[in-house]
Amino acid sequence: MRVKLKASSEPHKFIERIEELSGENVYACYQCGRCSAGCPVASEMDLLPNQIIRLVQLGLEEEVLRSKTLFLCASCFTCESRCPKGIDMARVMEAVRHVLEPKGKDAYGPCEVSPELAKELPQQVLVSLFRKFSK
Amino acid sequence: MKLHYYPGCTLKEKTTGLDLSTREAMMRLDIELVEPEGWTCCGAEYPLTEEKIVGLAAPLRILRQVRDEGGDILVTTCSFCFAVLRRANKAIREDPLKNKRLNAYLRDDIKIDPWTKDKTTGFKDYNGEVKILHLLEYLRDHVGYPRIRSLLKRDLRGMAVAPYYGCRLLRPQAELGVDEPDQPRIFEEFLEALGCRAVEYPFKQECCGSYLSVSMPAAASEASYRILRSARLNGAKAVTVTCPLCFYNMDHRQEAIKETYLDFPGLPVLFFSQILAWALGVDKERLGLEEHSVPTEGLFIDHPAAEVRS
Repeated sequence: MRVKLKASSEPHKFIERIEELSGENVYACYQCGRCSAGCPVASEMDLLPNQIIRLVQLGLEEEVLRSKTLFLCASCFTCESRCPKGIDMARVMEAVRHVLEPKGKDAYGPCEVSPELAKELPQQVLVSLFRKFSK
Repeated sequence: MKLHYYPGCTLKEKTTGLDLSTREAMMRLDIELVEPEGWTCCGAEYPLTEEKIVGLAAPLRILRQVRDEGGDILVTTCSFCFAVLRRANKAIREDPLKNKRLNAYLRDDIKIDPWTKDKTTGFKDYNGEVKILHLLEYLRDHVGYPRIRSLLKRDLRGMAVAPYYGCRLLRPQAELGVDEPDQPRIFEEFLEALGCRAVEYPFKQECCGSYLSVSMPAAASEASYRILRSARLNGAKAVTVTCPLCFYNMDHRQEAIKETYLDFPGLPVLFFSQILAWALGVDKERLGLEEHSVPTEGLFIDHPAAEVRS
């Protein structure tokens, strides 16, 4: 993947924020790609999990924040269980979503679930979905 | 014997079969399940960023209530509730900062004593005293498979069942520690103790798509289909789950899956507790099978255990 590096004024601010929120050391990643290899929804993603963490390492905030990968992660922790460096990728994803929160609107809010569907769905799916994808 | 049991929101309305069959089965094992008074939703998701710590107040409130009622073990059947409760408990036990902040939240919902006007009366900090167990763990470690085997009323030798773990029961291993995340055995051992054949297949710990079934239905169908197909090709007559959301994705979504994959003939999905209750001699009508959208007829054929053994 080709990424254009810009002379961003304060790339370390974004990185520090992600590390503070997630509690993970993003520089530990050496791009082995096991997170992306095991990810059950990788086929739908525009940026793979290992690419997200690479962009975070480079401090490319904009590229990360506009990726739709953030709202495809199901927090199944498959990547977490396979990372040889012990990084919890689900936490990194959550931290990036957290950074995005004040900027945008709900990625998936209650208005988008039709009443018929809401009747059929188990409660826990609505609770967990809105906890993850809406503000 | 009384045992604290947290059913969680979904079991009360959408998957009552899981609740009903658990109760029936535990009754046969002489265990009375008691719900903590005034329990609420556990929050379904463990907050993964440090700033969302308030999400832990709900599960800890439930756990504090269990402790105040004198319970030292709490069992759950839903994997989501299990993961949230166990991780919250570990956090408050091992992280002094979280402990301090969360107990400050918890202290707030104690009523002021009308006599002494003292807010702290009757409040004791919750420090993770309760042990949270998934029912599968409780059956393995506290009831024991030999005892279950001695109480079996039906012979399940004809049943080939694929155990499906999903995500929340196993991962993250460092915090849950139920079993190995890539080579788990607990579900297989449970099914074999009941006399079933546990089908080996490579997708038993893959994700079913979880909550993406609302926001990205196609991705969830695809993920569920991979699991169901693999189980079927390896000879399973049914898939067993512990989580109401896995159940929804694999059972209720099969209509949608069949529209995409025309050659998929369908596969029944059961809760582990339904098989347990059936093996222990509970009537078919008391298993809550009417909630299943894939017919389960033909799976529950009555072979009394004594008849076959003799």
